[in-house]
Amino acid sequence: MIRVIGVGSPFGADRLAWLAVDHLSTLQLSECELIKLDRPGSQLLNYFREVLKVILIDAVALDETPGGASLLAPVDLQQISVSTSSHGFGVAQTLALGTQLGQMPPDFHLIGIHTGIALSELPSLDVEALERLVLPLI
Amino acid sequence: MTATRDIHIHVPVLTRVEGEGALELDVVNGEIERLNLRIFEPPRLFEKFVEGYECDQVIDMVARICGICPVAYQMSAVQAFERLFGFEPPDWLVAMRRVMYCGEWLQSHALHIHLLAAPDFLGFDSAIAMARDYPDAVKRGLNLQTLGNDLIGLFGGRSVHPVGVRVGGFYRAPREEDVAPILQRLRDALPATEALVDWTAGLEFPHDEQAFISVALSHPQEYAIGQGNLISGQGLETDISFFDSFFQEHQSPHSTALHATLDGRPYLTGPLARLNLNFHQLPKPVRQVMEGCGIHFPSHNMFHSIVARAIELHFAVFEAIRLLENYEVPQASYTVVTPQEGNAFGCTEAPRGFLWHRYDVDEKGIVRYARIVPPTSQNQGRIEEDIRQSLEKLGLDSPDEAIRLRAEQVIRNYDPCISCATHFLKLKLNRR
Repeated sequence: MIRVIGVGSPFGADRLAWLAVDHLSTLQLSECELIKLDRPGSQLLNYFREVLKVILIDAVALDETPGGASLLAPVDLQQISVSTSSHGFGVAQTLALGTQLGQMPPDFHLIGIHTGIALSELPSLDVEALERLVLPLI
Repeated sequence: MTATRDIHIHVPVLTRVEGEGALELDVVNGEIERLNLRIFEPPRLFEKFVEGYECDQVIDMVARICGICPVAYQMSAVQAFERLFGFEPPDWLVAMRRVMYCGEWLQSHALHIHLLAAPDFLGFDSAIAMARDYPDAVKRGLNLQTLGNDLIGLFGGRSVHPVGVRVGGFYRAPREEDVAPILQRLRDALPATEALVDWTAGLEFPHDEQAFISVALSHPQEYAIGQGNLISGQGLETDISFFDSFFQEHQSPHSTALHATLDGRPYLTGPLARLNLNFHQLPKPVRQVMEGCGIHFPSHNMFHSIVARAIELHFAVFEAIRLLENYEVPQASYTVVTPQEGNAFGCTEAPRGFLWHRYDVDEKGIVRYARIVPPTSQNQGRIEEDIRQSLEKLGLDSPDEAIRLRAEQVIRNYDPCISCATHFLKLKLNRR
């Protein structure tokens, strides 16, 4: 079973990962569990349990084509983020903690959806770019 | 004679706190000239948002103020409305709301102790770094936090921004088969929470006794969480509806949050204040753990607040077990309550201090005016006073880095929750 997790919040471009999960849910993917989380903080690690493969999708403040997608490594997310959720425990910090504690899933993939510069605006999701990255992983 | 030097320390963004704040400190000629805990996060105007909405809608709206303590916001609001409407919650409801609140204390205290405060005491700059040498402690914190969240979710449907609370009760009562496994997990966790008290008490604390006023709710029959009068260590005791007669709020140029004083003086609210005032009401087994830990309460050393949190965490698990042991689904999970016009007051003990609400409600049960006084704004004046005294005790001739670290540690002792923030990440992209 593959767990696909979209992390976001209701605010502006931070909804992008939720939109990505919503789109994936229309594809009738077998063997996939789709989950949307609202700023889970360190509790994100609970969703890495009892599963071999996790695809984590998150909006990233990246000045690339808004709505596009990139395959990232956890270390790409700098740990200097100041606008994080749950007492400073955002996705970058949680992934670093999970690595330190040996609580990362054996097969882990991180996909960032580009917000562009205007974080308060919700760009259109590039569904083709998303599918190009996600479908080969499933 | 020791030479004095000017120090200008600016911590532009406070880490391991919720929300956006900063610290500005100027020491000139060996004396603190300026010390500002800056809260620069914009006002969120929730009090205006809720105007025009029905009471039950407001209960769900105020839960959105904080992702860490949404239960506190809901409980202060529902208490306010029910007091105004003349509804006396039945015993089952009082007990189960207290259990839900225990869940919030458990998750919030576990988060603060293990991920936010402990790194300061153990010499790490983050919980991530601490996890390398103390993996079991960090895992314990995460597990206890999860348990607390699940306890909230049992009644609220979900742990963050729960939706189960309504005027007159809960929208639905948990099923017995859902309660049983959580009860077992609470029982299993109890020894770890007892050990946690000793673990925190074994940390190294600066000797920093300070005179301050503790303020908390107090209830004759229980360690106050969801009901009671406001009391202080200086003899105040008042019904919560008279808050304005004793407490004053004022603006400061450097902060978007209001400061609060009691008769013109800063005061402390939160776990240490609660323990200082109400420790004798802890159940005997919890008090024995407290008395055996080597830290004596009442305490006026704010660094002991991490121990106070651990004791309250242990208590929260103990209390939830006690209240859930004979759980039965009631005939009805809520009573339909008829709204009445008037001024509603509610006050409960959020994890980081008492949370006071006032709502003016019309005859249809629509909120026309709201005022919310959260614990972090109340503690602002005390935090600034504490930093000043603590740094003077540390020695203003200490290295800049030591001063900065001590100031940050003092701030984190209060577990300030400046507000929830969205979570955009700054990204350094290495393409693969």
